[in-house]
Amino acid sequence: MPFDQLTVPELTESLGEYKYIADRGLSTALLLALKLGKPLLLEGEVGVGKTELARTVSTMLGRELIRLQCYEGIDMHQALYEWDYARQMLFVRSLGSEEASDDQLFGPRFLLERPLLQAVRAGDQCVLLIDEVDRADDEFEAFLLELLGDYQVTIPEVGTIKAQSRPIVILTSNRTRELHDALKRRCLYTWIGFPESDREVEIVRSRLPEVGGALANQVVGAVNRLRAMDLEKLPGVAETIDWTESVSALGSNSLTAEIALDTLGAVVKDRDDLEYASRNIQDVIS
Amino acid sequence: MSSLSGFDELLVGFGQTLRQAGLSIGSDDILTFCSGVSHLDITDLMNVYWAGRATLVRRNDHVPIYNVIFQQYFLDIHETAVDERKRTLRASSTAGATLEIPNTEQGLPGEISPDEVKLGYLASTSEVHRLKAFADCSEEEIRRVRKLISRFRVTPPQRRTHRSTRSKKAARLDLRRMVRETMRNLGEPRALAFKKRKLKLRPLVFILDVSGSMADYSRNLLQFAYCARRANAKVDVFCFGTRLTRITRSLDRRNADEAMRLAGEAVLDWDGGTRIGDSLRQFTRESRRSRLGRGAIVVICSDGLDRGEPAALSDSMESLSRIAHRVIWVNPHKGDAVDFVPSSIGMIVADPYIDEVHSGHNLASLERLADRLAKVG
Repeated sequence: MPFDQLTVPELTESLGEYKYIADRGLSTALLLALKLGKPLLLEGEVGVGKTELARTVSTMLGRELIRLQCYEGIDMHQALYEWDYARQMLFVRSLGSEEASDDQLFGPRFLLERPLLQAVRAGDQCVLLIDEVDRADDEFEAFLLELLGDYQVTIPEVGTIKAQSRPIVILTSNRTRELHDALKRRCLYTWIGFPESDREVEIVRSRLPEVGGALANQVVGAVNRLRAMDLEKLPGVAETIDWTESVSALGSNSLTAEIALDTLGAVVKDRDDLEYASRNIQDVIS
Repeated sequence: MSSLSGFDELLVGFGQTLRQAGLSIGSDDILTFCSGVSHLDITDLMNVYWAGRATLVRRNDHVPIYNVIFQQYFLDIHETAVDERKRTLRASSTAGATLEIPNTEQGLPGEISPDEVKLGYLASTSEVHRLKAFADCSEEEIRRVRKLISRFRVTPPQRRTHRSTRSKKAARLDLRRMVRETMRNLGEPRALAFKKRKLKLRPLVFILDVSGSMADYSRNLLQFAYCARRANAKVDVFCFGTRLTRITRSLDRRNADEAMRLAGEAVLDWDGGTRIGDSLRQFTRESRRSRLGRGAIVVICSDGLDRGEPAALSDSMESLSRIAHRVIWVNPHKGDAVDFVPSSIGMIVADPYIDEVHSGHNLASLERLADRLAKVG
């Protein structure tokens, strides 16, 4: 196994080299996912770097990232495979009076691979990201079980396709609904919360090396005060980075009330929250 | 499997202790945990901690339990957290035995029609004389109540999904099926096949005011909700006075009387004041986290006499109107008036966000509501 010698501090460090600052819990979970060959389920607030982790892991290991974005109503034809009907029709017509056999029509020639099938075929050459799995219907979860448990998929016309080697699978969920236990059983689970202030400053600085430490500190402080307020939608780490970048793009080195008001849209993205935060801008920045 | 080493035994024991504490942990999970730990440096207990967190815990709210058990098991620290848990358990099993529905608000504007009184009595189970009054109902009244209930059962609201099914109407081509059939006919397409969107049940949420003035009316709607729940799993019922209580689970009984009794026990503040705004806010908060109320038809039953801040009510109504598909308000003060103008501050504030107002003050009105619920989907 390629990850035999890897330890938690080493993994944290190499993630850090790719500008992903992970805490110990997350590093351990990821390391175990790599070593045990199990999928990793990340739950947490919006914008705390769940999707980003998958991206970082794929660059770090030099593997292709195959992403399946889930949405309400997604089904196996969008996730797994689809037949190329137009070409099948043409093929059948071109045969003329000959009878087309199932093997000819429903073979690799007319099979369109969707992300899950791609991932099974690519095996350990890829990182499979199943993003926002909570948005898909319950039925879709059941359909993922075979893939997550045995790394294989079944296409009725073709048969069962098993991955030659295990891909790294990362699932994310914003917890808009509770996932089924059967799905969770097959995964390692980690909750990513908002990072502590120091770590968040570290994250901002590693993402935006050109920004001064003072500004990063100020923005992180302000974001933490926003999170403590009674807002509908709490800003995530992604918003902290956006805000710092916005302030810095305006050529400012510190967060004044005026600049904060101008750039508030980078961090608060709900109309009511925006009004509330603007009214209390002094509390936010001091 | 080879015999367990002492350390493995320790780990297995930990898994079992967690299981006893109520976490659902299978043998395979413990196996994963052990093999996970074997990959880590076990001289550092934190590695064992995080390995367990990743392999044995599946819900964020189980983390505190995990932490307590971990400390007890590996560090022999006994904190008060467990005692607190026990205390809350005890508290919840003794409190909430207040089922008695306040028999108030006889003097509502306008007279209470006999029908409505009878329906209210039907819903109640707690008092013998109420049952007797139900027995006094005329055949006609009972027939109407049953009719009402059965109508609820057959027409739950529905919405279209992304999934498709076979259709006779010429709308969208079903290519998959056509290829299949064409193949069977030697490449000669015989007929066009069509598909249509499947229908799915739309969630229905009842939010019922059970404070003094509204308790009797809410009972009627609770009975409603019970019937709907029997017919259609996607019904959620909440009660509120000063705060919101979810009573959906209590309604999952075969016996309607039993369900009503349980629901009554679950609600703690039958006779408190009314804080509509705060209660609705609690609801919208919750629905941000879960899918609760999303795309649902939300039925609120209240007279709008709010003791909380009007601003809180208007804010939460606005949120609610964005989450829900339709917001229907049942206000018995409306009566039969066609040009109803709300008089209570709560109703005035909430008005812009309400799609429909019903009165629910007599059987005919409840029937109209049942009809509407089936159609607004």
